[in-house]
Amino acid sequence: MRDVAVIGAGMTPCRSRWLEKTQWELAQMATAEAVKDAGIHVDELDGGVVGIYNDIFEFQAIPESGLQGIIGLANKPLKRCSSGGATGAYTMLEGYTWVASGLYDLVLVLGVEKALDCYDFEAQSPTPAVVQTIGYSWDPWFERPLGHHASQSYAQVVAAYMDEHPGDLDPTVRAKIVELLCEQAQSNPYAQRLGEKVTADQVLRSPYVVYPIRKLETCVYTEGACALIFASRKMAKRIQKRTGRDPVWITGVGAANEPYFVGRDVNRFKVLHRIYSDYIAFQKALKMAKRSINDIQVMELHDAFVPQLMITLAEAGVVPLGHANDLVNEGIIMPGGRLLVNPSGGLVFGGHFVGGSNMMSTWSVMREMYSRGFERGMIHGTGASLSMFGVAMVLERRV
Amino acid sequence: MWPEKNIERVRGRDGKDYLVQNDVMFTGVKHTRGEFSRFFIELCDNARILAHRCPRCRKIIVPPSEQRCPQCNFVEMVEEYVRDVGVMVATPVITAFPPSRFKEEIPFGSGYVFLETNGGGLTDQALAVRVKTTAGSIRPGIFTRGTPVKIVFCHERLGEILDVFAVPQSELTPEQIARSPLFEYSLVWTDAAKLAASDEPVFKETLERCVRLFCQLRDKISLSSRARENLKGWLRVVDIKTPGGSFQLRFYTESFVVTRNPENDVQLTFIINEPELLLNWLEDSMKGENEKLESPALTDLVLEGKIIMDKPELETINRLDRIPRSLRRDRVI
Repeated sequence: MRDVAVIGAGMTPCRSRWLEKTQWELAQMATAEAVKDAGIHVDELDGGVVGIYNDIFEFQAIPESGLQGIIGLANKPLKRCSSGGATGAYTMLEGYTWVASGLYDLVLVLGVEKALDCYDFEAQSPTPAVVQTIGYSWDPWFERPLGHHASQSYAQVVAAYMDEHPGDLDPTVRAKIVELLCEQAQSNPYAQRLGEKVTADQVLRSPYVVYPIRKLETCVYTEGACALIFASRKMAKRIQKRTGRDPVWITGVGAANEPYFVGRDVNRFKVLHRIYSDYIAFQKALKMAKRSINDIQVMELHDAFVPQLMITLAEAGVVPLGHANDLVNEGIIMPGGRLLVNPSGGLVFGGHFVGGSNMMSTWSVMREMYSRGFERGMIHGTGASLSMFGVAMVLERRV
Repeated sequence: MWPEKNIERVRGRDGKDYLVQNDVMFTGVKHTRGEFSRFFIELCDNARILAHRCPRCRKIIVPPSEQRCPQCNFVEMVEEYVRDVGVMVATPVITAFPPSRFKEEIPFGSGYVFLETNGGGLTDQALAVRVKTTAGSIRPGIFTRGTPVKIVFCHERLGEILDVFAVPQSELTPEQIARSPLFEYSLVWTDAAKLAASDEPVFKETLERCVRLFCQLRDKISLSSRARENLKGWLRVVDIKTPGGSFQLRFYTESFVVTRNPENDVQLTFIINEPELLLNWLEDSMKGENEKLESPALTDLVLEGKIIMDKPELETINRLDRIPRSLRRDRVI
C-alpha cells in the first residue's frame, strides 16, 4: 500500500436550497476550487470518484454521467459511490484505494447532492418529500411499510442506548452540545446556518421530531458540493515543490457495516444500543495509523443527530460507553477542552449534503490543522438504517 | 399527488429569476414478496408467525429474512412457528415528523420485539412492529425495554407487516393474553378524548386569554414571511375544546381566523383539559430571542397526551410549532 495525501480541497457554500444552481454547477464549482487549492491543472488528474447518495434527490438515475466532462474528466475513469449517510466517507475510502493500490497518482474525490427539489405538493412543503425520499432507503417488505425513516431509525438507537445506560445522553448535555456546534459554525464561511443563534434552552423547548430526539438536535437538509484531491507520495511531493504547502496524509482508514436486522448477538445482528460499526471503524483506522484516540486533537464526526454524535464519541473511545455526559460535564469537547469536535458546526449547523458532507469534514480538519497547527485529526461517516454503516480516517500533517 | 403542469419564475438570492418546474419521479411497481411470501401468507391466512431456525447454531430469526444461516456457512434454515407474545428490545420511538406517505398516521410508535419460541426462549432476531396503546394515542412511558407485549392481528389482513401490531400485556386480560391469535376487534379501545367541563372562572379566563393571544399571534404572522410560509397552503378548521369553553381556528392561505362562533365544518378537534398549557405556549410564542421559554412545544403536549386529537393528524400542530421560531428569525418579536 502506498501513502496517500490530501493536497487540495474546495467547497461550495452549504444552502438549504440552491435555486440558482443545479448539481452539475455545484460539482464544477467545488472541483474548480479544489484544483485551484491543490495548485494543479485539471488535466493532471488520472480519474475521479464521486459520492452521490440518492438518485431521487438528483431527479436522475446514474446522475454521475452528466458530470464526466463538466468536472474535466473526459475519457478518464469516474466511479460513483452511494452508501447512505456515509456516502462521502466511503467515496473517500474508494479514492484512497485507487491511489494506495498504485493504480493512479492523482484522483479527484468529489461529493455533491441536491435534496430540496423534492416537494410534497399536498403539504406545500419540501420536508415531507425529502423525508420520504430518504425513507425509500428502508426495505419494502418489513420496515418501510411501518414508516421507518432516518430520524426514526437513529432515534431507536438512541432510545436503546438510553435504556442500556440510564442517565447518559442527558437532554441538557445534548442541548449544550447543540449550542457549542452553533457557536463553532460561525467561523465556517460555508456553513448553512451562518448567523444563526441557537441556545440550549431553545433546544430543550423545540418539538420532538421523533421521540426522544428534538428538532434542534438534528442535522439539516443541504445542497452543496465538496471536492478533495488525493495524491500518491511521489505526486504530492512534486506538487509540494510547486505550491510550497505541506500535504495532509491519510495514515489510517477503517470501515465496517453492521447487519440490517436487529438481534442479540453483535457478530450476527445489529445490536440496538451500540453503533458497533463506528467502534470497529475507529479501532481499525487508529491501529493502521499506529495511534490511540488520545493522540487525536481534532475530529469532524458525522452528527446526523446530536445524541448519536455522543454515542459515536463513546464508540471512538473518547469516553467510555455510558459516560457520554462527561464530554460536556468534564469539559472534554467544550472550549479549552482536550478535543476539538466539529469545528465546522458539523452536519447540524455546517450542513449535510449527503454525498459530500464527510468531505466537508475533511476540508474542516485540514483547515484546523493549517490554522491551529494541529498534527493529528480524524473524520468519520455513518449512515443507513440504525446507523449501521461506519467509516473513520486518521489525518496527519507529517509522516 | 400528481401536480399541475407548471413552470414558475422564482427570485434567487442574487436577485435574478430562475425557472422551477413541477414534476414527479413516477414508477408503478408490482414488487414481489418472493421468498417472504410464506411469512406474509401465514400472517394473512392463518394469523400465525413463521420464523426460520438454523439447525446447526440453533439461532431463530423472525422475520425469516434469510433462507440460509450465514454464520454457519449457509446451512439451509428450517421453518418454525413462534408465539405471539414477547418483549420489547428497547423503548420504542414515536414519530411526529413523518415521510409524506405517513402524514395521516402521526403520531405513531414503532419498535422491535423478541418473540417467545415454543421452547420457552426468545428469538435471536427481533421483529419490527408498530406499537399501540388501547388507552388514547401513543405516548412515552407506555413501553420500555423488556415490556411484555402481545402481537395483535388486524381483522382485515392483506399479507403485509401492518397486519399485526403490538400492545402492552398490562392493558390486556389474562384471557386475552392466552388467546391466540388475538384479533384487533376483541380489544377494548378506551376513549381518551373526554373533556372535563367546568364552571370554574379560572378556566373561562384562561380561554379568553388564549383567544386574545391567538389573535395577536395571527397579527404577528402577517409580518413574518417565514411564519406565513409555515402556514402556506394549509386549510383546516380546528375546534379547540377546553373546560372553560371552545373556540375555533380556521386556517387558510398563510393565516388563520379565530372565532368564538364555531361552524359545523370541523375537520379536527383538540381537547385540552389543562388550557394553561396552551396559554403558556402562546405566551412563549410572543417572547424574543433572549427571553426564557417556559412551555414545551405543542408537539410534545400531543405526545405526552396533554392535547388529545380526535384523529392522528399532527400537521396542524407541527405548523403551529414552527411559527414562534419563524417570528424570532424574522425579528417580528
